[in-house]
Amino acid sequence: MAEILLSARSVSRRYGRLAALAPIDLELHSGESVALVGPNGAGKSTLLSLLAGSLRASEGGISITGAAKVGWLPQRPSHYGRLTARENLVLFARLENVGDPVRRAAELLERFSLPGDRPSAHLSVGNRQRLSLAIALLGDPNVLLLDEPTASLDPKQRALLWQEAERHVVEGGAVLFSSQNPEEVERHATRVIALDSGELVFSGGPDEYAVWEREP
Amino acid sequence: MRTLRAAALLTHKDLVSLRRAPLVVILLACYPLLIAGLVGLVAGYANARPRVAVVDLDHIPHTTKIAGHKYHIKNAIDDVAKNVRISWMSKADAEQALRTGSVVGVITIPQGFLADLKSVVHSPTLEFETAQSGIASRVTQQMQALVYNLNLKLQESFIKDAIHYISLIQHGGKTSFLGSSYDVLGIQKARALLLVEKGNPRAAEVARFLDTAEGALTASQASARAVAQPIKLAIETRNGRSWLFSAQMQAYALALTISILALALAAAVTASERDENVACLLGRGLVSKLSLLGAKVALATIVSLMVGVGILLAFGAIVDIGGITGGQPWGRVPLVLVGVLLFGAALGAIGTLIGALAREGRSATLGALLVALPIALLGLVPREIVPPAGVISDFFPFSHGERFFGSALYDLHPWATVAPEALWLLGLLVFWGAVARFALPRLTEG
Repeated sequence: MAEILLSARSVSRRYGRLAALAPIDLELHSGESVALVGPNGAGKSTLLSLLAGSLRASEGGISITGAAKVGWLPQRPSHYGRLTARENLVLFARLENVGDPVRRAAELLERFSLPGDRPSAHLSVGNRQRLSLAIALLGDPNVLLLDEPTASLDPKQRALLWQEAERHVVEGGAVLFSSQNPEEVERHATRVIALDSGELVFSGGPDEYAVWEREP
Repeated sequence: MRTLRAAALLTHKDLVSLRRAPLVVILLACYPLLIAGLVGLVAGYANARPRVAVVDLDHIPHTTKIAGHKYHIKNAIDDVAKNVRISWMSKADAEQALRTGSVVGVITIPQGFLADLKSVVHSPTLEFETAQSGIASRVTQQMQALVYNLNLKLQESFIKDAIHYISLIQHGGKTSFLGSSYDVLGIQKARALLLVEKGNPRAAEVARFLDTAEGALTASQASARAVAQPIKLAIETRNGRSWLFSAQMQAYALALTISILALALAAAVTASERDENVACLLGRGLVSKLSLLGAKVALATIVSLMVGVGILLAFGAIVDIGGITGGQPWGRVPLVLVGVLLFGAALGAIGTLIGALAREGRSATLGALLVALPIALLGLVPREIVPPAGVISDFFPFSHGERFFGSALYDLHPWATVAPEALWLLGLLVFWGAVARFALPRLTEG
């Protein structure tokens, strides 16, 4: 049985009277890639924000096993436009208390083939998304949360991103990604969780999901 | 320690970002200075010479003779009205002008005014009406000064006339009354005539009376001169500072510039964390809310200090190069900068609050400007005239900063003002900082 890296117990989120996410139980194990699917407004981004620790849960709790770390790629690129890619990486590495921020930034710039000395606002959409992914990977996380990571990428950039995600899973990490693309879910997920109107409506393997989805 | 380190990293990031936007920096520095200059000029010169209507119901002639002297009454009124602009109007026009506020008061010369003035039996009365406004008491004082100056002119003539008659009785001469000319003998000639009657005891008695009368009249002449102006005010214009370089203007410029700058900057950089979608990353434990608040307050403080030094140097250079009396009190600059530090920090906390509440950067900047101007203008309203304005103003840093700067720069013993104002600024920093801290989750979770 693979190690549980992150677990959520009855975690929910309300905005006043509106329930954005009904209580959900979830576990992420090492070596698995979980797809989070559902229509717009289903609660996918809310669940990812809760697991990332960016949003406080109204009820329930999230626990991270031992020394496991969580990296998060939000839906929109997240970095400072007036700083270069290198400066962004060094700043976030320092905020995360990474041992040698300058060396770690250089490593990630090379790994993601990013131009280091241009203000990140001037980067292409694909490069900005990759910079955000590099920021998510700065602290060498075990759990990677990706919110619609390929929505604005061209096919080549998508392939590069999935290459990184698979590498992470192979190295014993876990990936939880949200997607609207059935092909991506089928190809890259080992498990699928479906949400609708803030409620968990399906949890199982990709083949079962394909059958469930075809049901009226 | 971790909180401080994170705050320092974010402040450094904001300073680097600011350095890479020179246009924003120029705009941020110049716009508040421009506003400070304009508000300063308006505050200094507005209503400096309010308009007052004069209604002549007595139909005063162009020239008139009072106490033997020819007078141009209307010219005299225009001459002595140094602090107001006089407009001669009909009664109806004046009433309408007072209602609409185009004049701040109406002086009416009632019927029979000139007759009373000439009679020297009744004191004639000028009637003054003023609208209820903030400057009513000031205009009333100016009208009292106008009447005082008119009285002074007339009094001098009356006394000159009296002295002329006393001199006539002493020395004799020609005079006229009701169109007829008369020769007056005079005391001195009368005494000469009495010399012929030497040895006549009655003539000796009259001569003694004449001596006493002459002594009394000589004393009367001196008294009359003294009564004309019991106290004289010697006015001398020195080469002092113009209002533009006064302590008050310098304090306004500092307070207003830093108010707009620190508020707008802190609000904009706080909201930009959301615009760049980084607030959600910072909010997941990378940076505490206190670090985030500290970073924005520190940025507002650092930029306020830089602009404060710039303004002090610019004023100082102009004052020193221009050889303006009083000079720049360079020794007080460190004390002023302590005030700038507290002032910028308190404003930074309010700016952070605005930035956390705003949806995005542009709304935050607009919100900051909408807040900065009323706060500043409220601080300029004299507490003595509108007490509630003073009370509300106490809850914002502007008036405390302005008083701190003015006192730190030019008071001989500034501590009595500077110490309480510094405590106020510190208290406001803590208060607004606490409010902003509780609003920050709206930014990071928004």
